Amino acid sequence: MSTEPAFKLGVSLYSYTGDFGVVMDLEDCAEDIADLGATGIEILGEGHILGYPELSTAWIDGWHALVERLGLTPTLYGSWLDTRRHLDRSMTVEEGTAQLTLDIELASRLGFSFVRPKIGVVTGDLVPDPIWSEVVERNLDLAHDRNIVICPEIHWPTSIRSQAVDDYLALIERTGTTSFGLLIDTGVFQLSHHRRTEPGLRSQLGTGDIPAFPTPPVVPVNDLRDVMDQVVYFQAKFHEIDDQLVDRYIPWAEILDVVAESGYTGWLSSEYEGDRIPYRASDQLRRQHALIRTLAPSRVGALA
Amino acid sequence: MPMLEQAMIQAKGFRNAGSGEERTGFEVRIRSPYYRGTWTNLIDGVRVEVDGETFPSESIVWSIEGTDYTAGDLRDSETARWPLTAPATLRVPKPGGLSVGIHDVTVALSFRMSYIPVELQPQTWTASRKATIVR
Repeated sequence: MSTEPAFKLGVSLYSYTGDFGVVMDLEDCAEDIADLGATGIEILGEGHILGYPELSTAWIDGWHALVERLGLTPTLYGSWLDTRRHLDRSMTVEEGTAQLTLDIELASRLGFSFVRPKIGVVTGDLVPDPIWSEVVERNLDLAHDRNIVICPEIHWPTSIRSQAVDDYLALIERTGTTSFGLLIDTGVFQLSHHRRTEPGLRSQLGTGDIPAFPTPPVVPVNDLRDVMDQVVYFQAKFHEIDDQLVDRYIPWAEILDVVAESGYTGWLSSEYEGDRIPYRASDQLRRQHALIRTLAPSRVGALA
Repeated sequence: MPMLEQAMIQAKGFRNAGSGEERTGFEVRIRSPYYRGTWTNLIDGVRVEVDGETFPSESIVWSIEGTDYTAGDLRDSETARWPLTAPATLRVPKPGGLSVGIHDVTVALSFRMSYIPVELQPQTWTASRKATIVR
């Protein structure tokens, strides 16, 4: 069946972390995204913009020409609130506001519709730094003017039923804004951990004393139903799709059921986070899109 | 943009500093193992080891896109950045430099990530390779 799903498919350049700057540049990645049939392109501002945060006119013109040539829509611009940037103090509301303003303005100039600030945390169970709400509220008018929706990311091991999500929803309730919503990273639904390899590199987190991260599965897909009305974007996180077109880590059929049932017409933007071996992302992204395109019509059909 | 080697420690740029009898140290070039460029404040230190000899972070001078930074400069600057695709040259003092030939080189590089609980920070990437001093 060749029915196009009601939602739209994009790809995040994060997927090409094992390739970018090593075997592929921005243009190569964009061409790969267009070639695999996706129509949306997501970037990390601090990762993929040459000269960030001071963009040259030439770079901006080149970006617009690139996405126009390939028929790609700029979707989401990933940003950071590095609340522990300084060793001796945490970030102030003013500094956070300025950082988010900077990224919204850059995202707007490049034609994006969503900005995801990755917010620093203050506890072992990932409570976001309390400056987040005022930083966001001070930027809501700007976001509205620029047609940009600010969306914090619900990312494993944060779960949908959490204080963080309740607080995000409370901001929407309190302000009545349409310029803020939830971004769900499908990694929250992971059934088991994928241990990523990266040739020649060992990675070690600190070994401080905090409760161990929970063992997946943690978040039932059913929890997604409760928040779908406020979900504005999906990062379609995945790690490995095998030779039988099976993903043993992310339950796509169940996720697509909820997405279809809700009538969601926004983006599913692929985030490949498997082994960082050059040229692997291109193949894995095609597998994931084949899987989603195969599953989506039958899930919609099941609802009819 | 010029492509870099996949390995964090680049073969290119590994060389002695200073000339002739006046060798003052050596340089090792690295690419960022992170998936984003960062404000340099987020770099939490780097350790270089060559043939078992360790060179601490405070002794190393970074060169990023033509500007030199001490460990303190990296920490204190409000505007300096390490772009994702720009290699960094680490200038390591060592009177006499390194001998011509093959060396065992290890680099351990740490970043502070605000979105990960502070108890699990910093995150350290470690890479080792054999690298060659030509002259």
